[in-house]
Amino acid sequence: MSAVAPLFFGIALVVLLLVIFLWIPRRKAVQKAEPTEKFIPPLFTEEVAEELALPVPSAAEPSPPPVPELPARYGVDRLVLMVRDPYWLYAYWEITATRQEEFNATYGPRAWNITRPVLRVYDVTGVAFNGSNANSFVDINVPEEVDNWHIPVGQPNRSFCVDLGRMFPDGRFITLLRSNVVTTPRSTLSECLDEEWMWIEEVYRSYRFQFGVSSPMLIHEAAGRVAVVPLGISSPGFGPPVPESEAKIKV
Amino acid sequence: MAKGYLALVLHAHLPFVRHPEHEHFLEERWLYEAITETYVPLLHVFERLVRDGIPFRLTISLSPTLVSMLTDPLLQERYSRHLGQLMELADKEVERTRNTPFHETALMYQKMFREIAHTYHHVYGRNLVQGFRRFQELGRLEVITCAATHGYLPLLMINPEAVRAQIAVAVDLHRRHFGAPPRGLWLPECAYGPGIDRFLKEFGIRYFFTDTHGVLFASHRPRYGVFAPIYCPSGIAAFGRDVESSKQVWSAQEGYPGDFDYREFYRDIGFDLDYDYIKPYIHPDGIRVHTGIKYYRITGRTNHKEPYVPDWAREKAAIHAGNFMFNRELQIKYLSQHMDRPPIIVAPYDAELFGHWWFEGPLWLEFLIRKIHFDQDMVELITPGDYLQRFPCNQVARPCPSSWGNKGYNEVWLCQANDWIYRHLHMAASRMVELANMYHNAQGVLRRALNQAARELLLAQGSDWAFIMSTGTMVDYAVRRTKTHLSNFLRLYEEIKGQRIDEGWLSWLEYANNIFPDIDYAWYRTRKEDMMVAG
Repeated sequence: MSAVAPLFFGIALVVLLLVIFLWIPRRKAVQKAEPTEKFIPPLFTEEVAEELALPVPSAAEPSPPPVPELPARYGVDRLVLMVRDPYWLYAYWEITATRQEEFNATYGPRAWNITRPVLRVYDVTGVAFNGSNANSFVDINVPEEVDNWHIPVGQPNRSFCVDLGRMFPDGRFITLLRSNVVTTPRSTLSECLDEEWMWIEEVYRSYRFQFGVSSPMLIHEAAGRVAVVPLGISSPGFGPPVPESEAKIKV
Repeated sequence: MAKGYLALVLHAHLPFVRHPEHEHFLEERWLYEAITETYVPLLHVFERLVRDGIPFRLTISLSPTLVSMLTDPLLQERYSRHLGQLMELADKEVERTRNTPFHETALMYQKMFREIAHTYHHVYGRNLVQGFRRFQELGRLEVITCAATHGYLPLLMINPEAVRAQIAVAVDLHRRHFGAPPRGLWLPECAYGPGIDRFLKEFGIRYFFTDTHGVLFASHRPRYGVFAPIYCPSGIAAFGRDVESSKQVWSAQEGYPGDFDYREFYRDIGFDLDYDYIKPYIHPDGIRVHTGIKYYRITGRTNHKEPYVPDWAREKAAIHAGNFMFNRELQIKYLSQHMDRPPIIVAPYDAELFGHWWFEGPLWLEFLIRKIHFDQDMVELITPGDYLQRFPCNQVARPCPSSWGNKGYNEVWLCQANDWIYRHLHMAASRMVELANMYHNAQGVLRRALNQAARELLLAQGSDWAFIMSTGTMVDYAVRRTKTHLSNFLRLYEEIKGQRIDEGWLSWLEYANNIFPDIDYAWYRTRKEDMMVAG
């Protein structure tokens, strides 16, 4: 027994030393790591991972979440008219099921089916439009399933309003929705001259006027080369002149 | 005494591209490239001019999305790392190109990036907005703002409150960063529509810019063409762009930037060099991107390219600056014979044209300013704000609705590629107005949700998305951004109205889309005068 005791102590000592040697550095390591971890904001974690991992293309990258789909309908009756340029308008609309039912309730159960959708484009320049005092109007047949339309009006500086309605075979037109009123922009110099501010012809002679000299020009020029649009040149610019000859200034 | 004025206007803007959810986001590189190639180089130009005691006046518009990104700690940190990588690459390039004709250019980049790092970290403490503010305070820059997220205002006017909010948020942010409200506002894409000036007036804005025909085709023929501003009936001044000076700088083919001695934009080592070598400096997915290190000059109209020679390019920038000034002198000499007041030539450009697209652009600008100061006395640099103080009496006429986009009107932002967005944007705007009218003085989580709804709406309205869709490149990203923000908005709307706000999700949105921390949803409240416009 007495011979075993020192051996036991020896073993115990070795174990104790081992524990101390192995544990203390680990503790130190832990102590060291703690503050560092505290100071690394979460955005760094991925960089660490990247350094450790071989840069295998895309395997580790989370795929982006799917693009959410937007509602096809909002349940609101509306017809919105927008201006594209001096010659074109754009309209979009939604007709709710309720509105459709109301129509059938008023004009007969088959009314919807025997009528076709029509956009009535009123020229309301200079009038407070009340539905019957337009200067003129044009009807455009549109397919049943569409909910928007690019409308050629071809007239700068005129005001327009659009009705979306149903046309009966006998030509009766029933308005379902009425749009806001818009005015197309000018495409030429105004003929209104101020007496006090009479225009100076020589100043106008200095123009070699052309539309859209800005960055769209760059885009057009760039497009022919590489499919990389330079950043930040997000604004358009000097594009080709509008085809309409009115765009030219006549002095 | 100068016979006429030149108003150089730089419009600096990038869409809000901040993606905390992902460490390496391709679109964030737009910001990094613009900082390295445009914003810091411009600040360097201003510094050198001030150091040499050269007086100048420039107008610069900093869009609220750009200001927000330049002051965002996450993006600052990421840019700092990006720049570190770039400096490392430039060092390697100096070694790699030794004894080649590219070595001098490699040294140029090495020096340039080091200077940029110094400026970025040590001069402005990572906050470049402070840089622009500094030159404003020194009386050199007139810093103006833009719409909050660069919304294309004429196409948002269906909901006048949404246009007011775009301006209100912008003016508020500007005041916080620059200490005073802006005197002018850059209408995104120079897009003007009837009634927009009324909102500018509401926020103390004195002037905006239109394309040439915005002023030229005004309701009453303008006496001085675009060589003097007109006042809208609201009293807000509209300055029209001069075509000649614009085109000389803008066009890559007819203008200066296409000169054969200038740097070729499309030959970047990110695309040209061996994959294994360049791998650490491009996208970790292996997608090749522009690094900003480019060694060729335009050389000619073919694909044959020869090495860039910095001295030749510098020489050309000086020549072109002289040419630009000479042409303005001629223009002013001619105009001043016929006008009974000094003409003002308004020359606006995208800031990113300078440096990023036209590498030598900042240098050209510096030469131009020096030449204007030393070599002539016909032309004086001016800002629109200063002009209006000197000439407060101007003709009244309604500007022609217009933009500086292709063909001059709204088509770029309203065409078959992007027309679908408006039914959603308008619906979201009208729902935002509904919420603002419904909840007065909301507090706590409800207030946070309302404010975040406003942020999501604003982010969806950025004109950049419609523009990208119309150009046909990077369309997926633009569609994703539009749909994501709209869908976030619609969900918030439902949650707010259903009184079941998911606070965890709200917090995540606040973290991810953290633009405009001081936004107030009440900007969307309907006012009496809006009823009239809406019709």
